[in-house]
Amino acid sequence: MALVRINVGPVHPSTHGVLRLVVDVDGDTVKNVECHIGFLHRGVEKLCETRMYMQNPSYMEKLDYIAPLSWDEMYVSAVEQAMGAEVKQDAQYARMILLEFQRIASHLLWLGTLANDLGQMFTAFMWAFRDRAKVIKLLEDVAGSRMFYVNVRIGGLYMPLPKDFKERSYALVDYLEGALREYPEVLDDNEVFMERTRGVGALSREDAINYGVSGPVLRASGVAEDVRKSQPYYAYGKVNFELPVMRKGDSFDRYRVRYEEMLQSLSIIRQTLALLPDESDVVGQPIKLIGQQAKPDTVITRRELPRGEGIVYMIPEKQRPYRISLRSPTFINLAVLQKLCEDVKFADVFAIMGSLDLVLGEIDR
Amino acid sequence: MKAKGFDYLSKITAVDYVSYLEAVYILYNTDSKQMEVLRVKLDAQNPEVDSVMELYKAADWYEREMSEMFGIRIAGRQNIKRLLLREWNGSEPPLRKSFVWGKNDYKRLP
Repeated sequence: MALVRINVGPVHPSTHGVLRLVVDVDGDTVKNVECHIGFLHRGVEKLCETRMYMQNPSYMEKLDYIAPLSWDEMYVSAVEQAMGAEVKQDAQYARMILLEFQRIASHLLWLGTLANDLGQMFTAFMWAFRDRAKVIKLLEDVAGSRMFYVNVRIGGLYMPLPKDFKERSYALVDYLEGALREYPEVLDDNEVFMERTRGVGALSREDAINYGVSGPVLRASGVAEDVRKSQPYYAYGKVNFELPVMRKGDSFDRYRVRYEEMLQSLSIIRQTLALLPDESDVVGQPIKLIGQQAKPDTVITRRELPRGEGIVYMIPEKQRPYRISLRSPTFINLAVLQKLCEDVKFADVFAIMGSLDLVLGEIDR
Repeated sequence: MKAKGFDYLSKITAVDYVSYLEAVYILYNTDSKQMEVLRVKLDAQNPEVDSVMELYKAADWYEREMSEMFGIRIAGRQNIKRLLLREWNGSEPPLRKSFVWGKNDYKRLP
């Protein structure tokens, strides 16, 4: 039978952004998937070359609008490295706590929308958004805005932490530990969810490495690789946490890895809160210091973002970066979609795509 | 490099130093957790670099991006398609330093 070409998107509810797929199907079996990206391309790398260092963090946040703080922190760290600035000890702990909360918020949003895509309508989605709203509320009270925080500054944060930050964080961790335990009841015990994820879109260990995927997708395929472990920054070397690693690399394993990661993040937050003193000094330095220190030729900053490994490759100059190049994890996680969708059923394309946790703003840059 | 255990290609990018171009390969060893950065100097007028797609499948999209953003030809890959700038008809590769905002005229394809 002749192949039929189906166009999906660029505006489709399951693509979580503007992504166009051209799918060749033989009956209901997918033979080839071609991704058309670039609808959200804003030329951020070029734009950053024309702006001063501390004008850029808000662009970074708009790359990944689901976990903006992680990108913000990664960029500011690269600038700190270029200037040779030290980060205050308390600010390191505070950043770690906020980053892990951001990771949980990001994974919860992903979990809710994945369940929604797979026909597990509303229960998991509502729960995920209920819990995410509580995390977002805490981040809002720290940064002053709900979605785009822009509260990382050279050497620390923009504002002091709220007075009751520690109590509220402990209370939120306690709450989330209970709330997260409920999710497997509606997902792991759900026949529809299991049928549609188990064995779908399996990625072998060799392929995962060769295709360069990172983050939870890589760990689901059996590679224990995490920047927080292999090149610890801040106090990640001091706290105890495990890397959830699965073997098969299918959609279900990717779900399990992210779910376990949320529990590990809670454990990291709890340990870091114990390290953070009650009277913390987290406020960063004014911006005028930039350009006074001797600068290195190149700066490479690696961070474990919620979606995988992010890299900022920067050539610093006196006032503004000469060149800044960003590795966005989902860019390369999407490139593997073509491989994953060989000979699957058409409806599974969306199960696979959902399990990769795509953010198109970050892919297109 | 791959024979030495650097089995993971993290990133390919390029930098325009006006007098010459530089292609940057960030490689990673998943066993020993070592990172290695390779820099290849390219001619500014006629930049060309070999494809590494045979070794690392991850190179596919990075090479497409590099060729459209910097005008670098990728030897060994035919008919390399545009990736991010599919509907762009600009005269100059946008990440080159000779490209300045607002000065270059460009048209959208019909």
